[in-house]
Amino acid sequence: MAQTEKFVLNMGPQHPSTHGVLQVQVELDGENIIGAKPVMGYLHRGIEKLMESRTYQQCVPFTDRLDYVSAMNNNLGFCMAVEKLAGIEVPERAQYIRTICCELNRIASHHVFIGSLTNDLGSATGMIYAFRDREKILDLFNIICGARMTCHYIRIGGVIADAQDEFIRKTEEFIDYVPQMLDEYDRLFTGNEIFQKRMQGTSVISQEDALRFGMSGPNIRASGIPYDIRKIDKYGVYGDLDFDIPVGRTGDNWDRYMIRIGEIAESAKIIRQCLDRMPDGPFMAKVPKVLKPAKGDVYHRVENTRGELGFYIVSDGTTKPYRVHIHRPSFINLQALDHMCRGMVLADSVTAFATIDPLMGEVDC
Amino acid sequence: MGTYLELKYLEELKHSFASMEFDSQQPEPHIYVGSDDLLGLMQRLRENPVWSFDRMGNITSVDYKEYIEMVYMLYSRRFDRWVTVKCRLDREKPVVESMTQVWPGTEFEEREIYDLMGVEFLHHPDLRRILMPDNYTAHPLRKDFVPLQPKIEGGVLTWHKQKSSS
Amino acid sequence: MHNGILYLAGQSLKELMLPVIGSELIVNLIMTLICIVILFLLVATSALVFTLGERKVCAWIQVRIGPNRVGPWGLLQSTADMLKLLTKEDIIPHGIDRWLWVLSPILIFIPAAMVYALFPFDDGVIFADVNIGLFLLIAISSQSVLPFLMGGYASNSKYAMLGGMRTVAQMLSYEIPMVIALMGIVMITGSLKMSAIVEAQSEVWFIFLQPIAFFIFLVTALVESNRPPFNMVEGESEIIAGPFTEYTGMRWALFFLAEFANLLSIGILTTTLFLGGWQGPDFLPTQLWFWIKAFLMVIVYQWIGWTFPRTRMDTILSFGWKVLLPLALVNLLLTGFGIYIFRWLL
Repeated sequence: MAQTEKFVLNMGPQHPSTHGVLQVQVELDGENIIGAKPVMGYLHRGIEKLMESRTYQQCVPFTDRLDYVSAMNNNLGFCMAVEKLAGIEVPERAQYIRTICCELNRIASHHVFIGSLTNDLGSATGMIYAFRDREKILDLFNIICGARMTCHYIRIGGVIADAQDEFIRKTEEFIDYVPQMLDEYDRLFTGNEIFQKRMQGTSVISQEDALRFGMSGPNIRASGIPYDIRKIDKYGVYGDLDFDIPVGRTGDNWDRYMIRIGEIAESAKIIRQCLDRMPDGPFMAKVPKVLKPAKGDVYHRVENTRGELGFYIVSDGTTKPYRVHIHRPSFINLQALDHMCRGMVLADSVTAFATIDPLMGEVDC
Repeated sequence: MGTYLELKYLEELKHSFASMEFDSQQPEPHIYVGSDDLLGLMQRLRENPVWSFDRMGNITSVDYKEYIEMVYMLYSRRFDRWVTVKCRLDREKPVVESMTQVWPGTEFEEREIYDLMGVEFLHHPDLRRILMPDNYTAHPLRKDFVPLQPKIEGGVLTWHKQKSSS
Repeated sequence: MHNGILYLAGQSLKELMLPVIGSELIVNLIMTLICIVILFLLVATSALVFTLGERKVCAWIQVRIGPNRVGPWGLLQSTADMLKLLTKEDIIPHGIDRWLWVLSPILIFIPAAMVYALFPFDDGVIFADVNIGLFLLIAISSQSVLPFLMGGYASNSKYAMLGGMRTVAQMLSYEIPMVIALMGIVMITGSLKMSAIVEAQSEVWFIFLQPIAFFIFLVTALVESNRPPFNMVEGESEIIAGPFTEYTGMRWALFFLAEFANLLSIGILTTTLFLGGWQGPDFLPTQLWFWIKAFLMVIVYQWIGWTFPRTRMDTILSFGWKVLLPLALVNLLLTGFGIYIFRWLL
């Protein structure tokens, strides 16, 4: 009698499509997946521990290295948590600049998503197009703060430099370019038969499952739950802005892709409004050079590109945080990988992995 | 950031759970609960439709040198409401019920706490180290942590305690 | 009888040699050897040209510039690549089946080069104009399945094994619709001889008589030669490089030599079978027409490859069996009716 055996394939940590150093132990029956276990820790740098021995200001650059393709959002999360802890009021102009930068970074991060997704689907052309457009945003960051990826631009109390006229002009140019850019993506892959066939109906996450796994960000919205911290908490100036949250229906790979395309358009809308309303004034609050928040703990969450990013800070009254915990969205979203891969074929595991859009810097912290 | 769970609900909860404490003077009183009552309280908070805390907003642990404190921040999407539950554990042998029984999505976070803080979770589906190597023996987020020294012995990476002088 | 440039050149070379050597047998032998050398040179240079060509075409599609550092317009890029590959360390992994592993890259090159013997490059210029030409061509080219499986099996790597199995599944299933689609051409021509097939298109190209067969051939040719969007064998995002995963340096380059030889050969095959081969209006020499068409087809294949994402293995197989095969059979039936009606009209 024929005997069959499970085939365990260690995908990663060195594999072309594990964006970073994730290892996935895939159990295969032929080409069908019967289980996928993520194994992580290859990029663990102990950021939480390192922060305990730095002053609050010195902690901010670490947040850049968490989710290095959307550094601005991470800066924002940490700075807002410290501001809440120390009771610092941020000037309005700074808040608008922060919002513009965060939304630009959200678009840039979704470019990486689109690029790596299409690359994983075997079309390197898509990646080049997405990265070409991402380059425009990185150039904008270069103008405003001199760095491209790990910006360290948002500081405790505001931003480190004012938005120059050149930045504002070029941002407007970019916003005007966004519809044309999305149209090009639609023609290149959204309307592509093979692309649709591979994405639609694969790796479905139902609403119950999305809640069960505690997912957040575009992944939970793709399952049809309008859960967006920007709308719920209305932190910063998001309460005054008019924008929609794209919500999917079925929670398959296709929805997770379309959500991100929708979010690019929404982010462009937000930036347009911010540019119109940005008041003059100071860009940095008066923050003591030696920041000593009172004893206590604080939790603050923001909507990162990948979901709900939270910072839990315990202060013991000294210049250094006693304990920092980072609630990382990709880390939690990754729990769904096994569920998404079951019953799919090997090629779908890569698509599933790309559409969760985890970033190993954030997962391993 | 939503609202915090009102005082009247806290009082109501206190009747059912003897070990529950909170400081009613605080604007946002944290619930302190004994580790025996923790699971029951959490199930109540999750399943009772009056609160329906359906999301584990944040789960972490802090080493306060005398004890280890588990911090659970629950969030209710329906009422946009928060509550913080804290639970003090013995530092030498921290053991607590796993929250995966109530929120399955806390699996990785509890593995992380087990790995970095050394808290053991009962009834966890797959309690293994997640970030550090499997044969690592220390818990890095403890305050008295001293990094272990890596050594290759017979082709296998092993970890050893540092000499006290260094 | 024939009047292609290459044919005339060959004939005059023969006439030059005959008085010097004396024996016609030896002259024919020398001519055969020269032809073999030329064919091998052609296959080898096609790899050199296409490494650059592929990268340039890919760069145009991807709004990039492409290689432009080595030589003018990067013309020497592929030479530099080749030199680099030659100087690379030859890593032989542990636990492999040594013989099969070493043989695989060599064997894969043989069918890829051998099919060139059956291509009519010009009027009268065909190395082996056998009367079962098309049949032989398909028979030889289908042999390339085996080295892939050998390499995949011998590498002692899970990715290579998966890649090898994929190759077998994919290539064997697409042989069938391809052969049945080409039957239509054979029915119209009434011969399997390659030169006869080209001559049968002197009035109207088969692309107009057999559009369905052309479509099926376009797809199956992409699958058979592992071009994207059907490059399941490599599938670099899932199984890294399939059977080539464990190969390095020159051994790896041999696989790619074969791949580029295959790319040119499907271009030539499409030209020969559907686009009238070397035939064309008189204002250009026939030889030029042949290469223009062949290169145009190669660019079309590259264009398709660089635009589409990769398909999935199960989709590929179900498409082959459930769509292409019935379509090929319908085409066969229609061709039969067409020939019958055509004869009846005459």
